[in-house]
Amino acid sequence: MNCESYDWKAYALGELAATQRREAEKHAATCEGCRDELAHMRLTVNTLSALREEEVPRRIAFVSDKVFEPRWWETFLRPTFAAACVIAAAIVMHGYMMRPAPVDAAAIQAQVNQAVKQSVTQAVADVERRNADLDNKVTTLYVKSTGIKYQ
Amino acid sequence: MIFREVEDRDLIAKARKGDVEAYNLLVSRWEKRVFNYLLRLVSNREDALDVSQEVFLKAYQSLKKLDDPGRFGAWLFRIAHNEAFSLLRRRKPEGEMPFETGTPVRGSELLPIELSLAVERALGRLSEEQREAVLLKVYQGFKFEEMAEILSCPVSTVKSRLYTALDLLKATLAPAIFRGGHI
Repeated sequence: MNCESYDWKAYALGELAATQRREAEKHAATCEGCRDELAHMRLTVNTLSALREEEVPRRIAFVSDKVFEPRWWETFLRPTFAAACVIAAAIVMHGYMMRPAPVDAAAIQAQVNQAVKQSVTQAVADVERRNADLDNKVTTLYVKSTGIKYQ
Repeated sequence: MIFREVEDRDLIAKARKGDVEAYNLLVSRWEKRVFNYLLRLVSNREDALDVSQEVFLKAYQSLKKLDDPGRFGAWLFRIAHNEAFSLLRRRKPEGEMPFETGTPVRGSELLPIELSLAVERALGRLSEEQREAVLLKVYQGFKFEEMAEILSCPVSTVKSRLYTALDLLKATLAPAIFRGGHI
């Protein structure tokens, strides 16, 4: 293997498998150029570790904190809430579809008046007819019993 | 690391069943790493804190979507990456540079704090993508495959960004390294 086939960055970053590492080390032991390249890469990576790790300035909120509560609009996306909305909509629709036909009070009143008038007319006619029958019967009996013709 | 992974897995299982304290413990474990990653990426403490909060909130809300609890770290950093770049994209029109692009490091006997600042400046000279690759690899210790998962790109792209970044950092930090008593 020639020098270019060794990945010294991967070596310095700990990405090589054990066998590859051993091969690379064997090569570096005999090649000054590769040894230098590896040394520079290790130094660069080590120097990067000098960057200070910062403390979190204030703690990240926990699940029980208010920040983890769903936003107002997220409430609408919950399955239970959505199901409740669907049921409510179904109830409203059902109520709308099954509502009674609109009432025309004047027309009904006219119908009632007409019916009452017919009933009254019929009743008066019946009474008059019965009275006429009774008159006839009374007259007939009177004539039979007295022999006098009723004028 | 293995123990931690096992414990994370256990905490995730409990959190999925509604154990609030289990998730709070996960937050405690990961908040410093996530915050530092975001801080170096967005270079503003308040923004980093706000985005960290958002990351843990989103992670909590979509914890049930996590296929493999053993890969919680990569999954969490994927969310952090998305949130950070969403913020960076919103910032772009203002032409704001995330890090000040200072002068190259001058050779001198550097104290640890000075070396830390030199590294911070050197990182600031990288592109956002290059810097993120360094942050995930050098500071968070993710493997190339995990980085590819977090960044949604092939491993070859991850390596290309990282290797270019390392070459630039080597050149920028060389004076600090060689005259600062590190060699």
